[in-house]
Amino acid sequence: MRTIIFATAIRYLTPVFLLFSVYILFRGHNHPGGGFIGGLIGSIAFVFHVLAHGSERTVNTYFQLTVFHQNRQENHSRTKYVWDLVGANTWKRIQPFKSASWQFYILRVRPAYMMATGLFIAVTSGVVGLLRGQSFMAAWWMEGEIPIIGAIGTPILFDTGVYLLVLGMVLKLVFTMSKE
Amino acid sequence: MPSDLLLLLPLLIPLYGALLCLMFWQKEKWQAAMAGLAQVAWLAGSAFLLQRVWVQDVVSTQIGNWPAPYGITLVADVFSALLLLAGAVIGLAVYLFSLQGLDVTRRRFGYYPLLLLLQMGVSGVCLTGDLFNLYVWFEVLLICCFALLSLGSTKGQLEGTLKYVTINFLASGLLLTGVGVVYSLFGSLNLAELAVLVRQPTHPNLPLLSMASIFFLVGFGVKSAIFPLFFWLPASYHTPPIAISAFIAGLITKVGIYTFIRLFTLIFVSDLGFLLPLLAILSGLTMLVGVIGAAAQTDFKKILSFHIISQIGYMLMGLAIYTPLAIAGSIFFIVHNILVKTNLFLISGVVAERYRTFSLKKLGDVYLEQPILALLFLVSALSLAGTPPLSGFWGKLMLAKAGLTAGNYILVATSLCVSLVTLFSMTKIWNEVFWKPKAQSLEKKLTRAPVNLFRLRQLYLPVILLLVFILFIGVCARPLVQLSERAANGLLHIENYTETVLTNNNTRK
Repeated sequence: MRTIIFATAIRYLTPVFLLFSVYILFRGHNHPGGGFIGGLIGSIAFVFHVLAHGSERTVNTYFQLTVFHQNRQENHSRTKYVWDLVGANTWKRIQPFKSASWQFYILRVRPAYMMATGLFIAVTSGVVGLLRGQSFMAAWWMEGEIPIIGAIGTPILFDTGVYLLVLGMVLKLVFTMSKE
Repeated sequence: MPSDLLLLLPLLIPLYGALLCLMFWQKEKWQAAMAGLAQVAWLAGSAFLLQRVWVQDVVSTQIGNWPAPYGITLVADVFSALLLLAGAVIGLAVYLFSLQGLDVTRRRFGYYPLLLLLQMGVSGVCLTGDLFNLYVWFEVLLICCFALLSLGSTKGQLEGTLKYVTINFLASGLLLTGVGVVYSLFGSLNLAELAVLVRQPTHPNLPLLSMASIFFLVGFGVKSAIFPLFFWLPASYHTPPIAISAFIAGLITKVGIYTFIRLFTLIFVSDLGFLLPLLAILSGLTMLVGVIGAAAQTDFKKILSFHIISQIGYMLMGLAIYTPLAIAGSIFFIVHNILVKTNLFLISGVVAERYRTFSLKKLGDVYLEQPILALLFLVSALSLAGTPPLSGFWGKLMLAKAGLTAGNYILVATSLCVSLVTLFSMTKIWNEVFWKPKAQSLEKKLTRAPVNLFRLRQLYLPVILLLVFILFIGVCARPLVQLSERAANGLLHIENYTETVLTNNNTRK
């Protein structure tokens, strides 16, 4: 499947898929859609990316962040130090590899943690009802509305949790299977 | 504590426990700590729930404040709380056993979260007040069972799991069909509302109810391994390691029986004249076939697996006699059996931990080397067979007395004979494993694990914990008998149940 057309197209389509999945997620309370289907659509973006580039590259691009840092020298002013640190992590990302004084951390989002976080958010959104002295999963809505998303309340949180759970689940499957 | 919270704790605690275990995926020690906390909390939650239903008989809550016949109902009565508590006790014991008795690989690859999710499924089945949700919770429970049974992916495990999965999915299909049929007949799936509907003698669809009940009879028959449908059980229960099979063997078939008793006292009551003799025959044959199967085995775990089937027959016997005393006997027997069966499995695990085999032929001489373990086994085994001061006796006494009062002489005679044969196969294990001198020719072939006394003592801990409970309900049977009678009374007089569910439409806003 590694044709150049597919690989190039996927680079531009991935954000579209993700945006659409979020749209589906938020319209889900009153219209067809919601966390489950949103999560599936969101995972399509990454599944295609894995097909086009292999799972290693997908993980590198979307699920891991390399953070560069170095210790502050004596003659280095504090502002300059922060400026360099931010610079090395944003617009001058290539340079730190070349110099020995930079160390780095790798922050990685594992699908299992995504599932756990999603489940946690979903369950906790239900517990909010209990904490407010009503029954489990009793909805709680904030006053007022936000233009695109609509009203904010615990059902949105629940859907977001499901979204993350489904996304994590599919990604776990895809990453494991593409390795074999 | 508000009853909403009490009803949800048995579901939320294992779920949060499993979540925390997932968060600590790579740190097995932390997972164990989180799982331990969750087990203790689950036990405490179930105990509080039992105390609450002792005072209030029935408590219920509606998820999301949606009123009763439409929203999701959670409801607990004495029966469900009792089963939950028994499950929590063996959950704690199995957890303690797993700390030393399970290999690190399995612990690291999700044993704790899976066990907790399985427990959540058990809580769900016990607490749900809705037929469809009952099905869903059963699926949650079974999927965790599949994963646990195949955890580690050895050849034998995969073979056993495959049998288990295939047959249980078939059964789930039947159940789902049954749920659909009930819904099309009565237009409701809420257990309390259904119970009211089927007790209206003029309902036009009432004669079709027994047709629907057959779906459930077969579906739950497979899941709780009654007579013609039990063959998956001995094929799969002996394959996984003890820390897994002890919990599954101890609890899961009993959950099937729980739903049996619940549904056949609450909903499928219109055609008892047809169902009860059928159940009586099935229970008699289940006892008989299970125990005969066990007599033919020469493997510690397989004998115990076959005995599960035979004991299922006793639990069904109470339902087949259908008097308050008989159902109380069944409930007593379920609680007793959950504890004793798990304990016997754990003991077989302790033996195998040292001698690396379950085969009766290769084992021997355990009495000489581990006399305390032999004593622990003896008490549990006699309790399973039903020797007087121990717990199995009271359950069988209640069942036999109820059977004689109701005139089911053949069934009672069968159950007593089966007791004798049970005693025989327990004696067989005792003779072969603990008493007989080890065959000299095999002495060298057995690679004995090096004795680590501290580790061995830690393995005794859960066994002793369970034995304390077994002795307590044996020697001091009165509290549990009272509880079972309360539970049976609640099952046969459902007004309180239906009223609590249908009128408690969350007056709070």
